[in-house]
Amino acid sequence: MRNDYKIILDIIPNGSKVLDIGCSSGELLSLLNKKDDVHTQGVEINQEEVVKCLENGLDVVQGDINQILEDFPHNQFDYCILTQTIQTVNAPDKLLNLLKKVGKNIIISFDNSNYYKKVFNFSVRGSFDNLLEKSEGDQWFNTQNIHPCSIKDFTVLAKKVGFTINETYDVRKNKKFIFPKSPSNIFCNEVLFNLST
Amino acid sequence: MRKIIKNSKYPGFVLQCNEQLVLDSGKTLDEFEIAYQTYGELNDNKSNAIFVCHALTGDQFPAEKNPITKKTGWWDLMIGPEKTIDTNKYFVICSNVLGGCVGTTGPNEINPKTNKIYGIEFPTITIQDMVRVQKILVDELKIDKLLSVIGGSMGSMQVLQWAATYPKSLRSIISIAGALKHSAQNIAFDEAGRQSIMLDPNWKKGNYIIEDTKPENGLSVARMIAHITYLSDAAFQKKFGRNLQEKQDLSFGFDIDFQVESYLRYQGKSFVDRFDANSYLYMTRAMDYFDVSEQLVKNKESIIENKIRFLVLSFTSDWLFPTKESRGIVSLLNSIGSLVSSAEVVSDRGHDSFLLDEPQLFKITSGFLKGIKL
Repeated sequence: MRNDYKIILDIIPNGSKVLDIGCSSGELLSLLNKKDDVHTQGVEINQEEVVKCLENGLDVVQGDINQILEDFPHNQFDYCILTQTIQTVNAPDKLLNLLKKVGKNIIISFDNSNYYKKVFNFSVRGSFDNLLEKSEGDQWFNTQNIHPCSIKDFTVLAKKVGFTINETYDVRKNKKFIFPKSPSNIFCNEVLFNLST
Repeated sequence: MRKIIKNSKYPGFVLQCNEQLVLDSGKTLDEFEIAYQTYGELNDNKSNAIFVCHALTGDQFPAEKNPITKKTGWWDLMIGPEKTIDTNKYFVICSNVLGGCVGTTGPNEINPKTNKIYGIEFPTITIQDMVRVQKILVDELKIDKLLSVIGGSMGSMQVLQWAATYPKSLRSIISIAGALKHSAQNIAFDEAGRQSIMLDPNWKKGNYIIEDTKPENGLSVARMIAHITYLSDAAFQKKFGRNLQEKQDLSFGFDIDFQVESYLRYQGKSFVDRFDANSYLYMTRAMDYFDVSEQLVKNKESIIENKIRFLVLSFTSDWLFPTKESRGIVSLLNSIGSLVSSAEVVSDRGHDSFLLDEPQLFKITSGFLKGIKL
């Protein structure tokens, strides 16, 4: 099982209402449904992925994140999950504001752009492409990851929007850390935030 | 007293109900009949029944060859052995709606009180009245819980009404190209169609059958107007462009010059042969009156308790029931905390897409049905 999924399953208590934004084929939703009395809802833009979710009996709404979140009623979900997506949206600040309305707690994971190996590669090799590590063929001009950010960047934005940061995890090491006490902004590759409104 | 018999006029069956039906208008029908057809077999624990609701001009023969028109059934692409709604697996029920003209009680049937054809003496009906009658049929077939209720356009209205009125009697619904309520623009189109019928001198204040005439022109223009709304700019362009109809030059008159004119006139004409003008008035009125939002909210506890799963589908080029309307359905269902899925199918063929060969529509629908255990 993916490390971030393990962490998320540990965080979310039984009986929660959960929204997974960008749920792909619904792997995490299926895992969450195995917990007691968890009500899940997915959002996914790719129709083929939506079909896979439906075949597994999952509830999923197809469409653009911003538009769908605007349609959702306020305070509808106990947890909103956004894994590896925040860096791909046009306006991360706007998205965080929408999430704040819809959910009581928000779980967000992304790759830390200030991870020392990436920064090193960037400065030595001299290409922005080294800061991106997602899919094959991803280059600065065609990448989906248009808003790379560091742990520090995100922390500043999350506080500005009005979130409380409850926990931060180093996903690859499956370990909690306390920022800014730990040097995680340099040494953590993939981070997961557990925020509340 | 209720009795199911073989339909003497058409293939399929008729449920005869010798009892009073109170309608939303407060008026009543003292007796009524429901003409219906079924496909596939009901399984032993009666868990595989799907009710299919037809659109404005549909009938109870969605699958196979239509026994009346001899053309392929309106949803034969969707329903049949090994098709999306697989009749090897599911038991499909489809009935002609109340107010319709293919065997279910409607304005062109005899009024038992006067022994004359109803005409516009027939009470105004609503989508909920149509669904009430469908529920009576489902009860009579001894089915406690439908696996799903599925329909597009006016069919979607019935589907949503089923969830709002009888949440205990179904496990899921699929609303295709629908809305929570009829928009002002749609009411406007309906009114233009109705006026076209009623201003035809052959309409005879609705008594055309008794007076042995038919408001053919009115009904055919109504159909022409409606048919434009079922397609899209792109569909018209693709199908006809500005091509001329069997001629090289413009006629400089008002005969048919363009292919699209010929097509529309044909659509109008052929409709007159298979549809009753008064039925058209009653059914468009039922659509105009439709607004299910409040009822869904009112019955939210029952909807949630019964874990009804909703699938809401729309098409990118549908401007009669645009995706915006489906988003409204999803939003409301979310606000009441129900289980909802949705998708928008890319198609340039307009509202009619729900009746056409749209592989994504079939894929999404069968995926959703597969996710519901028998």
